[in-house]
Amino acid sequence: MKRYKGIFRLIGLYFRVNLASAMEYRGSFLLQAFGMALSNGTFVFFWWIAFQQIGGRIGGYDFNDVMFIWAAASSAFGVSNILFANMNAITRLIVTGELDTFLLQPKDVLMNLLCARTSLSAWGDLAYGFVLMALTHGGDWQAWGMFLISIVIGGLLMTAVSVSAHTFTFYLGDASLIGGMALEFIINFCIYPEGIYRGFVRVLMLSVIPASFIVHIPLKLARSFNIWMLLLLFGVSAIYCFIAYRFFYRGLKRYESGNLIITRM
Amino acid sequence: MKAIRKYGTVLKLSLQNAFVYRSNVIGGLLFYTLFIFVFFNLWRAIYQGGRVAGYSLTQMVWYLCITELVVFGCRSGVFGQMNEDVKSGSIAYQLNRPYHYVFYQFFTALGGMVFNLLVFGTMAIVLGMIMVGPIPGFRLQSLPFVLISGIMGMVLNFFILMALGLTAFRMEENFAFYLIYQKLVFMLGMFIPVEFLPGWLRDIARFLPFSYVAWAPARLAVAFSWELFIEVFPVQVLWAVIAFFIAMAMYRFGVSGIQAHGG
Repeated sequence: MKRYKGIFRLIGLYFRVNLASAMEYRGSFLLQAFGMALSNGTFVFFWWIAFQQIGGRIGGYDFNDVMFIWAAASSAFGVSNILFANMNAITRLIVTGELDTFLLQPKDVLMNLLCARTSLSAWGDLAYGFVLMALTHGGDWQAWGMFLISIVIGGLLMTAVSVSAHTFTFYLGDASLIGGMALEFIINFCIYPEGIYRGFVRVLMLSVIPASFIVHIPLKLARSFNIWMLLLLFGVSAIYCFIAYRFFYRGLKRYESGNLIITRM
Repeated sequence: MKAIRKYGTVLKLSLQNAFVYRSNVIGGLLFYTLFIFVFFNLWRAIYQGGRVAGYSLTQMVWYLCITELVVFGCRSGVFGQMNEDVKSGSIAYQLNRPYHYVFYQFFTALGGMVFNLLVFGTMAIVLGMIMVGPIPGFRLQSLPFVLISGIMGMVLNFFILMALGLTAFRMEENFAFYLIYQKLVFMLGMFIPVEFLPGWLRDIARFLPFSYVAWAPARLAVAFSWELFIEVFPVQVLWAVIAFFIAMAMYRFGVSGIQAHGG
């Protein structure tokens, strides 16, 4: 219990420091966040056009369903990149030897390295999800409840996927391509209706690339709540995160320092 | 003549570089395949066997293969390069070299774009044929004109991105401009054909440069006609020339304010 409290305290501390750092350049921070939100907003335009042309459902989803999965995916991505932005840099840290810094500190290595950086534009992703939910789901408290749950679960799962992919660097030497592809896969599977995919891809979305657990199952729960499905959601997410965590530490055993001297500022 | 030889050498070196480091495109090809796969699934669900706004599913898939080829496959890193050069100050080292910075960047990028056009173009054809088969009614005689339009789209895209990148001379943070431009190209032709747009927006889009980056060559590829080529190609050339002059003006305006410090 003490260990988990320490981890949460570390995340909280890094969050405050990174936010304070971002606020030093307020204009830049707001411009990046706003730009990202605006960028995400263009997809609303696409879906509005698509539903206008079709006049029915696409992949089993209506316009509000698509807005839910977009809002959940966007905010989950935002949360993971605000808190754990270094998930995208794990390969670089391993290859350049910058991992040494984190090995020498008396904190959980993985959590320490994940939290050490934040992404300013991710605040735009986070805010965008809330704005989209407010515009499309208004006072639907069931939808809001599942949206908030999916942000937490989605943020953790996206981080876990990225960590797992980049961990292959310990085995392959450079897994930046695998890491990039994994994140791209999960984003692309999250932002489109589940029903457009068939067969093997659907299996993939329920296993290796858990996009269904990030947005599609929360949407099902938002439309028709089922306690067992909710428990399944929590359980599978916890197992996935645990496996990613253990996989990283197993890979870490193969790490050899390059004796690089670096300064963390 | 000297200038042609000079920039021709830059282009040749850039092409050689692209061929030597050809494995760098593997990642791009994988991403390209993923995008086309996702879009194919999406549009198959949207179409459900019918036609939308004058496009069949086959035409739509090929349309996306071409637009992704032009915008994603043949992209250059000029925006990031401009930012890096200006913010790091390394642009100052290039000012006293015997070439014009804008032309140098263009011909350096052109080598990579030509190589990518060959590689990603082949992938586009393979994916299109596997997913939906050949374009109905496509004639090989139209291919050179589609290619010319595609290259003009790439040139237009390059100079707009260069102009946006050169805003780094005056702005601390200019990434938002890139995002907005990227999404305008995305929504006005790359992901949605102009024909899908509401009438009022379609008319506006025809007067803006964004749809001439991707929509023009893709539309020519899936439904070529001489009338369409005569309608869109001159507009592409016009916008490319305007974008070139804007990039030149941004460069001159930016360079005039450079202060170099020793050290």
